[in-house]
Amino acid sequence: MSSSLRNFLITRIFLTIPMIWILITMVFFVMRVLPGDPIRSQLGPKVSEEQANAIRERLGLNRPLYVQYFDFLWKMVTLDFGTALTQGERPIIDELGEKLPATIELTIPAMAFTAIFGIASGAYAAKNRKKPIDYGLRLFSIAVYSIPIFFMGLLFQIIFSVRIPILPLAGRMDTLMMTNFQPITHFYILDSILQGNWSAFWSCISHLILPSLTLGLALTGVFIRLTRVNMIEMLQADFITAGRARGLPEPRLVYKHALRNTFIPILTLIGLQFAILLAGAVLTETTFSWPGMGRYLVDRIELRDYTAVQATIGVFAFFVAIISLAMDFLYAFVDPRIRY
Amino acid sequence: MNKTMLYKLGVVLVLLSIMLAACGAQPTAAPEEPEAPVATEEAPVEEPAEPEAPAETEEVVEPEEPAEPQVFWTKELRQAIAASIDREVIVDRVFEGRNAPAYHMVPPGYPYATEAFLDKYGTRDLELAKQILTDLGYTTDNPFVFELWYPPEHYGTTTADVMQVIKEQVEETGLMKVELKSQNWAEYVDSFVAGKLPMFMLGWFPDFADPDTWLTPFASCLQSPDNGVNYCNEKMDELLTKGAASSDPAVREATYKEIGDLYAVEVPTIPMFWEPEFVTVRNGVEGVKIGAPFEFNYNIVNFTADASPASGSADTVIIGTTDEVNSLDANDAYATHDWEILKNTGVPLLTYVAGESELVPGVAAEMPTVSDDGKTYTFKLREGVMFADGTPLTSADFVYSWDRLNALEGQVSGLIQIYVESVEAPDDLTVVYHLKDSFGFFPALAATAPFVPVNPNNFPMDSIVQFPEKLDGIGPYRMTSYVAGEQMVLEANPNYFGDDKPIIPKVIIRYFADPTTMSQAVEKGEIDVAWRILGAVEATRLQSVEGLTVTKIDAPTLRYLVFNCTYMTGAE
Repeated sequence: MSSSLRNFLITRIFLTIPMIWILITMVFFVMRVLPGDPIRSQLGPKVSEEQANAIRERLGLNRPLYVQYFDFLWKMVTLDFGTALTQGERPIIDELGEKLPATIELTIPAMAFTAIFGIASGAYAAKNRKKPIDYGLRLFSIAVYSIPIFFMGLLFQIIFSVRIPILPLAGRMDTLMMTNFQPITHFYILDSILQGNWSAFWSCISHLILPSLTLGLALTGVFIRLTRVNMIEMLQADFITAGRARGLPEPRLVYKHALRNTFIPILTLIGLQFAILLAGAVLTETTFSWPGMGRYLVDRIELRDYTAVQATIGVFAFFVAIISLAMDFLYAFVDPRIRY
Repeated sequence: MNKTMLYKLGVVLVLLSIMLAACGAQPTAAPEEPEAPVATEEAPVEEPAEPEAPAETEEVVEPEEPAEPQVFWTKELRQAIAASIDREVIVDRVFEGRNAPAYHMVPPGYPYATEAFLDKYGTRDLELAKQILTDLGYTTDNPFVFELWYPPEHYGTTTADVMQVIKEQVEETGLMKVELKSQNWAEYVDSFVAGKLPMFMLGWFPDFADPDTWLTPFASCLQSPDNGVNYCNEKMDELLTKGAASSDPAVREATYKEIGDLYAVEVPTIPMFWEPEFVTVRNGVEGVKIGAPFEFNYNIVNFTADASPASGSADTVIIGTTDEVNSLDANDAYATHDWEILKNTGVPLLTYVAGESELVPGVAAEMPTVSDDGKTYTFKLREGVMFADGTPLTSADFVYSWDRLNALEGQVSGLIQIYVESVEAPDDLTVVYHLKDSFGFFPALAATAPFVPVNPNNFPMDSIVQFPEKLDGIGPYRMTSYVAGEQMVLEANPNYFGDDKPIIPKVIIRYFADPTTMSQAVEKGEIDVAWRILGAVEATRLQSVEGLTVTKIDAPTLRYLVFNCTYMTGAE
């Protein structure tokens, strides 16, 4: 690792800290400015004001705001997420330990599908510009881009689960299998491999297909269009003409030389789309009763569960920061002109 | 790079100053409420004892307040609104006849229920409404204007439609004008508890199967502020106390008739309609009986010989729900689904015959004996009852539950503490409840989940355990596992004392995130029963699906309009 690369990485990592700090600070205050509090949101009017105050006291919500804030900051620094304020007041780390793996298990295949299918078909469309397949792919990209995720999910459920019952409808694993399944890491696929439980493994895979396809397809449209446009430009570049003149085979020209050079904007897009992917996970998780971070976040925002929301958004921010850092890092590999 | 750093530093500083400014403000800074008159804050939350307040005619007297602010609602205005609403039309137009109009706060089918609002106003009395308003001096040019608030999301998407129809109906008098306003639930609860909303919509679900739980929380001086009604009337209080105190059915019937009639005259709230619930079962599933007390006993569910269970085995039934578990600690839990689990894994002192409203001994050996003053209930326990883990149950466990309820101040503590003074165990099989007053409905209360004894091995004295790993109660089932958002497994309790041992030894509750997915699941056969909350849209769709039976349950879920009786205005 060159010293300039190391400097770059260190600067970027240090810049990530204030970014996350600003974000969680904003979340901290926005959540508290929002009307309503965890006690009333969860219990409604059924508890009296004295009792509600007793619960607030127990949870430390009646302390001055700045005390709560610095307490919260200190806990974040020491990586202590505290306990949730609603729904059983469990330690946040336990809750995230169950929810985060579910979301990652959902988003990785979705992202992989999006990237591979989106980029490949975008490149293919560019190569066959103005042919029927190009029009078809452009139409397709607009269609998947504009269909709301939950609607697409519902369509898939009705077609591939209810009408043609080949795939399970919702959840992460077969109900009966779940009763004997002991999660270790809460990555169910990994757990079933670790335990050598192959029926559970296949059950997980089959439960994953529809939700990850839904989420993946929704983001594919952008990738197809972006790749196509950049490829068209690239295919007209001088170096491609030069390569063609030297008799390089056409597929090699298109998929190696041209495609590689379109990767810079695509990588940027992957970084940006990752954040959208997490947002899309909220809708997908609801449609498919997938017990992940998205659903958790929405539930807890409604309940004004301050600590849970802060931790969840903090974790999301961390992931987005890491991914964009990784993307910057990858630029150097795809573009020989970029050196750190 | 330097520029960027400087820029970021600037942003950080700006943010810091904003934060510091925010810290200086009140920690619980409430949102600005431009319409709410300042006087609301000072208005005392109705003192229960108002010695010289004349009964019947005026319920709110504000003697020492400065001249300008006035009580916004008078009894006459409330009556005019009650008279102008036509529930049948709302039920028809918004719910296509699925819901039932509510003419009293007490649901039909409950003891001593009447139809007081129907008796007083008919289905609608527009002329009466016009008459009242004209007498009060309102004209078409100078109509009575008021705000009506609702939460757009909390009670489902139909709420906005309901409010629109109410607005149309009220404005049909030509003498009233409604401004519809909405706030999301969290904000809304804060606002009405703080007394900022003049009139608003709420839902109610009973705590126990007695008319008292439908009236006292809204109309008693002591409890009505908690529900935002702030209503206080001496005569009403007297009647409510009388109705609650008596155990004589004849006295209670007459008293609750009188309360109903007075309620329709006083109108602290307007009952609107009853929302049904739906349960969908696949063909071959029997024994899903949900009666008036709204209890679902899993132990009597069974499969017919030709059934095709979702699990593939007649030993397991899978029940779907969109509910969530909030707490499984009987000294804390206060939500419908939690109570359902607690009653299937435990047995309260008294209980209901499955699917019916007949109260029978539960873990008590017989119905309680009541002292002459109605304040002491003595229960004899069954002999040889054991928790699922083999620990014997004694009367000390009830004292333990009561002590724990007081020590931990869980969500449900308030419900019991209002009524119970102390609990003692003179011997191993006798539990004595000393009440704060004579409450004739105590047997109905003793059939609720907080009267399910907790197993001291699962539930220590020093902390609430909302999610125990196992639930070894005394009920027909024991909970063996629970994965939040996914599923709960209940297995037959080998030590269950009752004759109604579970027919199906294993129950799996599967948790869904939305009703559409749940309805697809029951249609497809991934679950045997789709229970709460399926919703009318999905239920209607499933009715036409072959192989399914959709049953409408007249659930005691009420929607009603609340008048904040101490809402003040200076503009009048």
